[in-house]
Amino acid sequence: MTDDRGAAPFTTFIGAEMEELREGYARLSLVLQPRHTNPNGVMHGGVITTLMDSALGLSLGVLRGEEAFRNPHATIDMNAGFLAGARPGDRIVVEGRVIHMGRSIAFGEAEARRNDGDLIAKGRLTFAIRSRSE
Amino acid sequence: MTEQLSTSPFVEFIGGKMEEMSEGYVRVSIALDAHHTNPNGVMHGGVVTTLMDEVLGGAIASVRGMEVMRAAPHATVEMNASFLAAARPGDSVVVEGRVLRLGNSIAFGEAEARRGDGELIAKGRLTFAIPDRSA
Repeated sequence: MTDDRGAAPFTTFIGAEMEELREGYARLSLVLQPRHTNPNGVMHGGVITTLMDSALGLSLGVLRGEEAFRNPHATIDMNAGFLAGARPGDRIVVEGRVIHMGRSIAFGEAEARRNDGDLIAKGRLTFAIRSRSE
Repeated sequence: MTEQLSTSPFVEFIGGKMEEMSEGYVRVSIALDAHHTNPNGVMHGGVVTTLMDEVLGGAIASVRGMEVMRAAPHATVEMNASFLAAARPGDSVVVEGRVLRLGNSIAFGEAEARRGDGELIAKGRLTFAIPDRSA
């Protein structure tokens, strides 16, 4: 199923583009600009956590289909490790994969890479899935 | 130390405002707008994780001092955030960061995000690497 929902307004606002979206998988990219930095002039960690949250939320949405519109899922936990930095001019690609979807909880993982292929961050996310009877 | 510190370019871009910075503590706020949402129309988790990273980076800078930080910038190595409740456009969100411990090579901090009505909406734990100044 290819969902017609696009990226979140916040993800679009920061300048990310959807590259691929299918059941349980999403890939987003962003070309870093000076506005994406922290006071040290390198990428702000929030850029990556935003893309990770979006990639997983969307890939889970496609997997759940129509049910995701009736009973939206919500991030309840995110754990991200930052392995390397990135700078304005670098292109960042973030992939999200659903690793398990239960009735009330879903688990996913995300990877962020620089365009030179270097892995710069890894994430683990947990989502709550609202029960249908609620 | 009461050095004036503005927010990061990225936090300024998304609309965050620095409210207080004292030694080991930073508070920022944001007024949620439609562009801060996810496809369900509620606040995107990235808004809060961005502000958590910001307040702790700033709180550690307030202890280390700006000159030391610029010479050997600290960097987030790990972030763990739990999302407890939602927030919507029209809500204001306040995020506080506190340094728990600043060692020679590692710093630990925690962050809390609250809605304007006082409800705790997210909790975070962050770890930063402090580079060796001689490196």
